[in-house]
Amino acid sequence: MEMKIGVYICECGPNIADKVDIAKVINAVSSIDGVVVAERYKLLCSAEGKRFLKEEIKKHALTHLVVAACSPKQHEQTFMEVCEKAGINPYLFQLANIREQCAWITEDKDEATEKAIRLTRAAIKRVCHHSPLEKKELECNTDVLVIGGGIAGIETSLQLASPDRKIYLVEKSSSLGGLLTNFDKTFPSMQSGSKSIQEKIQTVNNNANIEVFTNSEVEEILGFFGNFEVKVKKRDEEQSTAEFNVGAVVLATGSTLFDPMQTPQYGYGDLDNIITSLEFENMNSSGKITLKNGKTPNSVAIIHCVGRDKTGYCSEICCMYSLKFVRYLKDKISNVKVSNFYSDLCIPGKTYQKFYDQTKGKHVDFIRSTDIKITKNGDKLNIEYKDENGSKNNLVVDMAILTPAMEPTSDTSRLTEVAGVSLGDGGFFAEEHQKLSPVSTTTEGVYIAGCAQGPKNISDTLDQANAVTGKILSSLIPGRKIEPEVKISQISESFCIGCKTCINVCSYGAITFDEARKISVVNEAICRGCGNCVAACPSGAATLKHFTFNQIYKELMEAVQ
Amino acid sequence: MSKSEGNSKNKCAIISSKLDTNEVIIDFLKKAMDKGIFDAVLMPLKVPAGDSFAYVLIKDKTLLKDGVPLSPIMSVQGAKAVSSVTRLGKAKMKIAAVMRPCEIRGTNELSKLGQTNLENITLISMDCPGVLPMSDFLIDPEKNIRIFNEAMQKGDDTIMRPVCQICDKSSMVAGDLHIGIRGAKKDTFFMISNSQKGNDVLDKLGIDLKGDINSWQAKVKNIADEKHKKREKHLKELKSKTGGLDNLADTFSQCINCHNCMRVCPVCYCRLCYFDSDKVKHPSEDYLKMAERKGSIRFLPDTILFQMGRMLHMSLSCVSCGACEDACPMSIPVAQIFSMIADETQGLFDYVSGRNIEEPIPLITYKEDELHDVEDAND
Repeated sequence: MEMKIGVYICECGPNIADKVDIAKVINAVSSIDGVVVAERYKLLCSAEGKRFLKEEIKKHALTHLVVAACSPKQHEQTFMEVCEKAGINPYLFQLANIREQCAWITEDKDEATEKAIRLTRAAIKRVCHHSPLEKKELECNTDVLVIGGGIAGIETSLQLASPDRKIYLVEKSSSLGGLLTNFDKTFPSMQSGSKSIQEKIQTVNNNANIEVFTNSEVEEILGFFGNFEVKVKKRDEEQSTAEFNVGAVVLATGSTLFDPMQTPQYGYGDLDNIITSLEFENMNSSGKITLKNGKTPNSVAIIHCVGRDKTGYCSEICCMYSLKFVRYLKDKISNVKVSNFYSDLCIPGKTYQKFYDQTKGKHVDFIRSTDIKITKNGDKLNIEYKDENGSKNNLVVDMAILTPAMEPTSDTSRLTEVAGVSLGDGGFFAEEHQKLSPVSTTTEGVYIAGCAQGPKNISDTLDQANAVTGKILSSLIPGRKIEPEVKISQISESFCIGCKTCINVCSYGAITFDEARKISVVNEAICRGCGNCVAACPSGAATLKHFTFNQIYKELMEAVQ
Repeated sequence: MSKSEGNSKNKCAIISSKLDTNEVIIDFLKKAMDKGIFDAVLMPLKVPAGDSFAYVLIKDKTLLKDGVPLSPIMSVQGAKAVSSVTRLGKAKMKIAAVMRPCEIRGTNELSKLGQTNLENITLISMDCPGVLPMSDFLIDPEKNIRIFNEAMQKGDDTIMRPVCQICDKSSMVAGDLHIGIRGAKKDTFFMISNSQKGNDVLDKLGIDLKGDINSWQAKVKNIADEKHKKREKHLKELKSKTGGLDNLADTFSQCINCHNCMRVCPVCYCRLCYFDSDKVKHPSEDYLKMAERKGSIRFLPDTILFQMGRMLHMSLSCVSCGACEDACPMSIPVAQIFSMIADETQGLFDYVSGRNIEEPIPLITYKEDELHDVEDAND
């Protein structure tokens, strides 16, 4: 069939028209083989513009379309849709970026015009070598994998589970509940912590749409939004593996405490009656707060910010749970003297200040201090510190509670590999955008909830669980079709020499090795068309659809001629 | 830095024998075949015409006597021979492959690239005196075999190929077993094991690994250091002669695009070289355009592109074996140039091709902490 290429130059209002001599561009490209029409238009991405393009395609019976306008990132999709509506394959289209790459980067109209001509010519040459590609549709899987059975994972699972949405909840330890199971009460309401989580665990266990895997680890996640293939390794007696497909993944792996053995100045592990916040929670839950010798402490120091210097961030919740600890202590030992050694008090929001005001008072001190060192003083502990004025001071107490920084759990970095997300500040999972997309990741369909994303309190954790729920409910809709990437890699059987280099560089696990034929094979449902394999293959056996050697070569040659 | 001497963990036995090196190796292979440790041996043999040497897979042990482990030329790089035998899966019988250290390193690279399966292969090397340039050898093979043997006796490398003269890895133990001559007392040889496979072979032969390896190591280090100095000096000169696009173009201006260098290269393992494919063939109007732009265009085209493309593809795995230079009909110092580049690219990743079969190829390993120079350059 004869090639009929239409070339349309967008003025983009004054954006392009002021900087590029469009008449000259039209003149330069009109005579190229195959070009049957070259025209300008005010704003091609507008409704009228799109209608104009569609009519032009029909009027001239175009087989290929070239638009010289803005960045493909902005409007490639727009014009591909126009092609589709006008009845030509959307991949028989090429967009030349003469705005960001020409008009916007120079004051020199001649130079901008010259480059616009080259880019447009290159796009025309390229489009001649395009092949029509057919889109495929895939049924979207609405099930969800939730990794981590703490409050974030439990809440997300409970909200998402429904008859048309199965939840796979994977927990590495032997039971659900996470850190919250240790807490007698939660701040600032001082309502039950462990009891409420136990109720939620019960609800999870009774929910037929939630399959719980304890003592299990997610080993592999391949695929993409709407179509992930998951492998879970169960550490039960026979070490079995479960495999299933989901549409989305939630990382809710929580956090763990900084190990105070790394900060020997606090004497943890060396001296008696120095305990971590988690150990204190458990002591309190047991009903009795005692010293090692069984006696009741008369004075307790709470040391804030343990390990903050090492982690480099504020763990957000320690000040508030320290206040809660003051309440625990006062509830159980009425005349106890509690001294909080803090560096900055973190008590934001509408309720925390009140909680603080109501907690401080007689025998409850807040000492702003630095350079804390804990030593033995007979049966007691001597807290050496520098006060706000830099003067050295000390205080003798019976017991010291350390509030260590919150850190990402040990398998966080492994899971970044498995789930294809990145590590962010402090070694926690990185969110897509701190403000705009706090629960999404850079991988579509993989979300983060709770402390896996950074230290946070229970209500913020629940907020994130809700946000993730909303994200998933609004996108993983039953019956929705997803379109796998069309511009994928293909490996030529006759050129592949079987060196497996491509397998090693594939970020998506989309390439497998056929042992019988000794060649690499691309899984079309998983390949995202990143091109890593194409670049790495020494034999030129891997090629990327729509970015073939020939297409790129023709485009480049024309641009540099 | 000298990575050339044997691994300090190596175990060794000292073998007394009045035979020469070739004969000692053959005697060892014969005993191993007698005991059924090896079913076959892959090693260089003098061709029946007597004027060349070729790798032969020997199943009949009476033919072992014709083997020449230290052949005066490298007609085929041994890695290619091993790959041919096991490219499609492990050998069904136990094979001893007797090769020079650079050939074993090439084999290790091919193994990492899935081009050979070493499960049933035992790699045996020896201290390498170098080999003669192919073109020199062919002038009078009979005479040159004699000259080579004399030079080997004297430890004289001045008649060897230029790339052998500057090889600082001529005793690198990268296979399973290594026969050492350097630093040995008269009528003794070092039998060095470098792997469990090597230990097992010696164990079955009743050879105890209780020898003192120090004098071999000292001598090897001495030679390697000396060669390393020579290498640095030589490559510096070469760099000044070939560095920059103009010099490079001059150096390769004699190239006739025969692609022999690629065909004999052990680590050029592609089924079809990209530069032999239709992807680099263009319609005449493209060539006309190029000619128009530059005034003229040379045919066959893409000479430098081919050399640089090949360099880009294989320099991380180049073992400086010199096969390419031997194969070049135009006597371009290809091996020396590639060896120079390989030093630099492999140095970037603290990688020595083929040194250790466990060491992954840098291209397929991602380390966060590498190539900061490149990052900084973009700041």
